[in-house]
Amino acid sequence: MSANAAREQEFLEYVQSGGQVESTDWLPADYRQKLIKFIEMHANSELMGVLPEREWILKAPTLQRKLALTAKVQDEVGHAQLIYRVAEDLGKPRDEMFADLLSGKAKFHNVFHYPTKTWGDVGVIAWLVDAAAIISQKALLKCSYAPYARIMKKICWEESFHILHGRDVVLAMMTGTPEQQELVQEAVNRWWGPLMQFHGNPIAREEDPMYLWRIKSQGNEEARQQFLEGYVPQIWELGLTVPDSNLGRGDDGVWVYSEPDWAELKSVVTGHGPRSQERLDFRRRFLEQEKWVRDSLVAA
Amino acid sequence: MNERAQLLLSIADDELIIGWRDSEWTGIAPTLEEDVAFSSIAQNEIGHARALYELAATELGSDADALAFDRAPEEYRCAQLVELHLLEWAHTIARRYLYEEADRVRLGALKESADSELAGVAAKIDREEVYHRMHAELWAARLRDESRFREAVEELWPYALGVLPQELRPELARRTGLSVDSTQAIERGTHTPELAELWQEMTEVRRSIPGAQW
Repeated sequence: MSANAAREQEFLEYVQSGGQVESTDWLPADYRQKLIKFIEMHANSELMGVLPEREWILKAPTLQRKLALTAKVQDEVGHAQLIYRVAEDLGKPRDEMFADLLSGKAKFHNVFHYPTKTWGDVGVIAWLVDAAAIISQKALLKCSYAPYARIMKKICWEESFHILHGRDVVLAMMTGTPEQQELVQEAVNRWWGPLMQFHGNPIAREEDPMYLWRIKSQGNEEARQQFLEGYVPQIWELGLTVPDSNLGRGDDGVWVYSEPDWAELKSVVTGHGPRSQERLDFRRRFLEQEKWVRDSLVAA
Repeated sequence: MNERAQLLLSIADDELIIGWRDSEWTGIAPTLEEDVAFSSIAQNEIGHARALYELAATELGSDADALAFDRAPEEYRCAQLVELHLLEWAHTIARRYLYEEADRVRLGALKESADSELAGVAAKIDREEVYHRMHAELWAARLRDESRFREAVEELWPYALGVLPQELRPELARRTGLSVDSTQAIERGTHTPELAELWQEMTEVRRSIPGAQW
């Protein structure tokens, strides 16, 4: 075993036993590369995730809802900024990350490739999409890369408020008129498929390179089970139905469900979702339109 | 409608509509840091609008949301400056800068008002506006050598004068170094087509199911 391989093996054992490293520590090249890829996708998701919601800030039906939704989207942009900075520290400049996002080289989460059709979607996104996201993010609190794990504390704290906000929007509609209840049910029907795909295919965690390096601390299926266990009873309690006749909790506490459409997931995250290109075009338009502002900041 | 309610509504409408315009930048501002700042400003302005609508609502036997959303576009009393659709940074900053300067002059006068309730709200609003002014002044200083920014300020100046009543305009001119004499102010009372478009979007969900609670 070469000296470098021995050093890498030592590093691997260290992170696998729960050790955390700092940006100033020696990092294996493969670890750094995987870490950047993972963190960059997370940052891109926060950034692209504001687009489906921002248009509804302008349509929010009360002053309170408008304030709450603006604050929520502001948090997401703030998260994007924090996360991009962690990736920048690892050696990839922000402009390069934006360029890779726009060219399709870097990805963002599947749920942000879909349209938001009604105010019902606004509630369901903040409640259930953020709930699915917080499950993944809580698992990052134990990430082997300490700077990333640290910012996740603030992010998880803020995300937990988003879930409360979303649930409140949903609750107001579910205790409202039949039309409002219908809007929520339609939104749940629309988002269920993407939500079940959200945590990824049920690859064994030992085979997941992100788990190997302890960037992630849980497997995809564990995360999905946690989501189902936490939220399906709440969905039912509000009088909503889930569009999956096979969904149920077994005696062993494991949820069964219809196989999510993995082909759809793959197609969507590679830029072929119903709003993928439109959202990227919108992002590109403003990045290009306001480039002179960033240039003037650099020059100052 | 009495004079007090009219005054309250004109300021509340200015704050609501500029807050709405500012929130158009949420998610798409030139930098992430600026995006967060603009969302904060938008929330403050909407919060100010709400405080003022609440005062007006007591006067008019209404509530803040009904005043903000349920009037027809022509019933709004905002100045045209805040209505303009300016999703471009030089104009956005020019408007923020001019609006904050006008608002400073207006709040200064309101804080001296004999109406203690109004003076109290004005003082509270002014404490947050201090930060908006710092933000606007910082950007105005950064962009002062950009011709597109200087042109935007000139273009918007007649609109900025229209935010204030006649007697407060010389103070605004003094603060900005622009001229009040040679400029025809664009007065409050008529609206741009942009307001009707904004109103359509702003009230779309609320109008979709009349009387529903959200």
